[in-house]
Amino acid sequence: MKKFITIIVCKILRWIGKILGKGSSLPGKIALKICPDILERVTLPPYIIAVTGSNGKTSTVEMIAHILTENGKKVAWNKEGSNQIEGVTTLVLNSATLGGKVKADILLIESDERFARYTFRYIKPTHYVITNLYRDQLTRNGHPNWVYEALKDSIYPGVQLILNADDPLVSCFAEENQKVIWFGAERLEQDTEEFCGIYHDGKYCPHCKSLMEYRCFHYDHIGHYSCTGCDFKRQEAEYKITKADLREGVITVNSEHEIHLQLKSLYNIYNILAAFTVASLVGIKEEKIAKSINGFVAKNGRVVTFTLGNRKGTLLTSKHENSISYNQSIRIAAACEEGCEVLIIVDAVSRKYFTSDVSWLWDIYFEGLNRENIKSVLLAGTYCNDLAVRFSFTGIPEEKLQVLETVEQAVEVLNNDKKEEIYVITCFSDKDKFLQRVVR
Amino acid sequence: MKILHLYHDVMNLYGEYGNMVLLTQVLNTCGIETELILQPLTQRPDFSEVDFIYMGAGTEENQKVVLSALSEAKEELKDYIFKGGYGLWTGNSFEILGKLLVDCEGKEWKGLEVFSYTVRQQKKSRLTGDAILTSEGLKEPAVGFINKCSYIEGVSQPCFRVLMGMGNEKEGKTEGIRYENFTGTHLTGPMLVKNPYFLLKLVSDLVKKERNEELSQEERQALLTGVLAKETAAYEVTLRELRKRMEK
Ligand SMILES: [Zn+2]
Repeated sequence: MKKFITIIVCKILRWIGKILGKGSSLPGKIALKICPDILERVTLPPYIIAVTGSNGKTSTVEMIAHILTENGKKVAWNKEGSNQIEGVTTLVLNSATLGGKVKADILLIESDERFARYTFRYIKPTHYVITNLYRDQLTRNGHPNWVYEALKDSIYPGVQLILNADDPLVSCFAEENQKVIWFGAERLEQDTEEFCGIYHDGKYCPHCKSLMEYRCFHYDHIGHYSCTGCDFKRQEAEYKITKADLREGVITVNSEHEIHLQLKSLYNIYNILAAFTVASLVGIKEEKIAKSINGFVAKNGRVVTFTLGNRKGTLLTSKHENSISYNQSIRIAAACEEGCEVLIIVDAVSRKYFTSDVSWLWDIYFEGLNRENIKSVLLAGTYCNDLAVRFSFTGIPEEKLQVLETVEQAVEVLNNDKKEEIYVITCFSDKDKFLQRVVR
Repeated sequence: MKILHLYHDVMNLYGEYGNMVLLTQVLNTCGIETELILQPLTQRPDFSEVDFIYMGAGTEENQKVVLSALSEAKEELKDYIFKGGYGLWTGNSFEILGKLLVDCEGKEWKGLEVFSYTVRQQKKSRLTGDAILTSEGLKEPAVGFINKCSYIEGVSQPCFRVLMGMGNEKEGKTEGIRYENFTGTHLTGPMLVKNPYFLLKLVSDLVKKERNEELSQEERQALLTGVLAKETAAYEVTLRELRKRMEK
C-alpha cells in the first residue's frame, strides 16, 4: 500500500511539476521521504545502463537513448539529466506501473561522478560505462584521482564495466572487476608520438609510479600507454575506432562502419564509441547502430553557427575549468586554414556555483593558437586580465591580442568587414552573453 | 640565481608552473639572471647550491610518493630551511614538512619533521573555497583558492590571517606556515601570478639576497605598472569579486 501511494504521489507531483516547468528532482525527493526504500520495492527492467565520466555524459546518454529507441527498445531515461538520487527516483517511479513495475526494456541513467555511489546503492546498474576522467571543475572535484576514489565506491560486484581503454585512469577500474569490455581508438592518422599539452597526467604509472611509455597520443594523455616498471598497460579494445578522417569528418568503427561527425574533432569520438558499444551489447546489429548514429542530431547545442554583420562565425561551447574541453576547441580553430579570429570569453567561471578561481587557464594549451592562420585573439569578460596574463606566456605576438572587459565591447570590435571567420570559445555559463548579440 | 621547482611533473595539479614562469621573468627584469631547474620525480634533488625551492599541489597519492622520495634528503632539506633558505610550497606540498601525516584511510606517515605540526586527511568531502588572506608586512591581502582534504594542528608560526576561506584548523583563523624565509600555504595554483604584491615582496627579498639591498620604491612601482601591469589589473578584479561575495 505504501508503495502504491508513493508511486501515485510521485507521478502527480511530476505531472504538476511539468506544467509549472519545474525540474524533476523534487517528486523523487518527496517519494524517498514517504518511503525511503521505495527503490528496493519496485521491479526494475533487465538492463540498467549507467553512464558517467567527466566530459560528454549527456551526449552519450542522448545518443544511446536515440539508438535504442529507434531500434524498437523502450527506454526510460532522464531527458533533463537530473542525475542525483532524487532525479533517478522520479524517473523510476514515473516510468513504473502503480504496482511498481518499470515499463521499459532499459533504464538508462546519466550519473554525476560524485553522486554515483549514493544512487547505485539502491539501483545497481547491470552495465556501467565510464568514458573518461579528466581534470574537470577542480574547484568542486578536487582532482581526477579524488573522483576516481568516489567512483570506485559506486562499482558493485557483478556489474558489466564498459571502459575507455585509452584513458589510463579509467582503465584502473578494471583491477578488481573482471567483467570488462574495452572500447578505444586504434592508432590514428593525426596521432602524435610526443605528448602535446601543458600537463601530462599519464606520465607516471598509476600503480607503481614508474615512467609510462606511449606508442601514440590521440590527444592530451589519451592514447596507447604501457608502464616501464610493471605490467600495467592499455588493453586491447573489443570495440574500436579504426580510422578517423577529420578532414571529411568521418570515423570508422570496427573497420566497417562509417560514422559522420557533426564536428570535425576527436572530442566526441569516445562518446560515439561508448554508445555504439552499449547498443551492441543490448543486442542491436552493428549496421543498425551506425545508421542510427548517423541520423542523430545532438540537441545540446555545443556548436552554434552565427552571423555578425557580414561575418560568419562558430561558437564552440567549451567547459570552463576543463582544459581538455578547451584544447579540443582550440584544435578546431587552429585547423581553420583560411584564417580566423578567435574570441575567448571568461565572464563567470560557473553558472552553478561561485568561484573566481582561474588556475585552470594555466592548464589549457593556448599555445596551440600561436599560428599564422590565427589572425588575432580577443580576450573578454570579467577575467580578461587573467586571460591576458596567461596569453602573455603563450608566445603569441602582443599585437595579435586584444583585451576587452565586456562581451559587448568584443562584439563591437568584431563587427567589421573582415573576411575571416570568427571562432568563439566559451562556456555554457557565458555563451548566451555573446549569442544574444549576434544572429543565429 | 638557481630556482628549483621540485617535482614539477607530479605536484602540478592546478597550473603551478605559472608561478615559476612569472617569478623568473620578474627577477630577470630586475637584472638578476636565473636558472630554473625543473626537477622530475625520477631524479634525486640537490639543495646544495639552490637559492629558492618551489613545490606545488599534488594528489594525496603523489604527495606520499614525494614524501618518500624526500625522506632520503630529509636532513639536507631541514638544514636548508633552518639556515634561512628561501622557499614557497603551495597546496598540500607543505603538509609533508610536519611531524605526522594521517591519510584518508587512517594510516600514519612520518613527516619530514622540519616542523612539528600534524596533518589529518579525510575523504568524506573535499575542502575547497576561494580565499582572502592577510599577512604581516603586506598591506594588500592575498587572494586565491584552497583545494585540500586536510586540517593541520599545531602550527606555531602561521603565514596568514583568514579574512575569507579556510584556515589550517577547522574554523581556524590562521593559514599556512612561515619560518624565516620559507612559506607554506594551501593556496593552490599560480598564487604568485594572482598576487603581484605578494610576489613583489618575494622578489624584493630575493633581490636583497643577491645584491644586499631591497628594491627601491621606484623600482617596485615600475614593476607594478610595467611587467606586472596585467597581473595587478587581474588582482584588483579578483579582490573586488571576492569582497562582493563576502558581503553576501
Ligand atoms: Zn607500473
